Amino acid sequence: MHISDGVLPLSVTLGSYAAGALVTAWSARRIHSRDLPKVAVVTSAFFVASLVHIPFGPTSAHLLLPGLAGALLGPAAFVSIGLGLLLQSILFQFGGITALGANAVMMGVPAVICGWFFQQFKGSTRLRQAIAGGLAGALGTALAAIFLAALLVTGGEDFFGVAKIALAVHVPVIVIEGVVSGFTIGFLARVKPALLQSSFQDAAGSVHD
Amino acid sequence: MLLGRFMTDLQYIQVPLWYLPLLVLIPAAVAAGVVSWLGRRARTRVVPENDPDWSVPPLTQGRGQGTSLIHRWDVRCKILTMLAYSFAVASLRHLDAAALAVLFSLAVLMVARVSFHKVMLRLAALAGFMGMLLVVMPLTVPNHPGDTIVVFGSLDWLGVNVRGGILAATIAAKATAIALLMEPLLSTAPLPMTLYGLSRLGVPDMAGQMVLLSYRYLHVFTHEARRMTAGMQARGFAKKTNMDTLRALANFLGMLFVRSFERTERVFDAMQARGYKGRFPDPGQLQLRLSDIFIAGIWVAAGTGLVFFDWLKG
Repeated sequence: MHISDGVLPLSVTLGSYAAGALVTAWSARRIHSRDLPKVAVVTSAFFVASLVHIPFGPTSAHLLLPGLAGALLGPAAFVSIGLGLLLQSILFQFGGITALGANAVMMGVPAVICGWFFQQFKGSTRLRQAIAGGLAGALGTALAAIFLAALLVTGGEDFFGVAKIALAVHVPVIVIEGVVSGFTIGFLARVKPALLQSSFQDAAGSVHD
Repeated sequence: MLLGRFMTDLQYIQVPLWYLPLLVLIPAAVAAGVVSWLGRRARTRVVPENDPDWSVPPLTQGRGQGTSLIHRWDVRCKILTMLAYSFAVASLRHLDAAALAVLFSLAVLMVARVSFHKVMLRLAALAGFMGMLLVVMPLTVPNHPGDTIVVFGSLDWLGVNVRGGILAATIAAKATAIALLMEPLLSTAPLPMTLYGLSRLGVPDMAGQMVLLSYRYLHVFTHEARRMTAGMQARGFAKKTNMDTLRALANFLGMLFVRSFERTERVFDAMQARGYKGRFPDPGQLQLRLSDIFIAGIWVAAGTGLVFFDWLKG
């Protein structure tokens, strides 16, 4: 779920823009500057993937994918997710332009955490990679839901009810997202294992030209 | 009334039980129906019913050329003013100020003469979140002294807090006012021009380039995904709520990533072969005229007026 315009207090909106800008700068520094155009192109693939609807009983849910983005892109995931959310906002009005900072922090920080988690625990067997991917997928959505609730609660006591409902509707999505992420990572481990070494990582580590 | 004795400063309005369908359920059903009808009418479906609609709306129609006041406005002025104004609107706290902002946005829409159809799409996208707020907030907002609670018949537990409803309506009005401005902001100039304006305002060049590239490849990958979906359907795949569907969709995503990462490398090679050195050519010249600043002035005055009006109300 994206936060739309006018929900959060002004201080939180501006604060999360500042926080988002800081993390973006950190994320961009971890990418070789030559690779930034590639991150942009990959972002569109994630964007299209997030349009896939998974049937869930009478309704359907769409994937949020912070876990998968983190696992495949590593620290570059934050830039990618911020860009994707900007596009969703300007193309579809999913998430307001003034709440872009908040949405980017809410989805991007979990992605980076999941990327770290996946790289730590992926091991070397395919099964283990799939399980780590599934856990990363579930963790990413769960963290995003918690961030969303925390941001909503900054609006004061009046928003507690909305925050609780936002958490509740994410529970089935967390399960679906975990299962799909696990299968997707399992598929990639069989078909193209190279993708699971978080791409666009600056080989030298910190410095880039 | 039992409740009233404990919370004397709450004001209760007791209405008969049959008001519940009249005041709440029927309007909610009508609103939901209208929104889904608008959404369906606005979206031209190109794929069968049980499938996601892959079509990504283009940002500008007719290459963003038009003759309205907003089309001719300098793109740097436009971005700065509209963004600042949006933040001002987002900071409003009273329903009447937010309603005034909606009226102002409607006036801008009239002046800009943008596609009505796309404005409707944006509002339909907003409807889910806003509908959720409008239903949830009146029921969950804590009761403060001075609040008015509407109680239906003997359903004491279902107290509808009017303050919560007004709060949700204020948020919905602010979101609508800002969403209405997005079309005039984005579709009155070609996207490269808007991004060029941003870079002239000090946003790093690379940021604009990345938006442009991903916007371009969005359509390419959408096309790719649509072809893959058609292939799956030709092999008899239908979505259901079960593990097999999840597995099939996961493989679909995996394949999409494999193809797009490979494509990314080829795209980048092709760009370098054509002499890409981290810059795209500038799409045109920007010149600031007096009239640009004049329009910005009107706009800033409107924003300041709204914030002041809001502040006056405490």
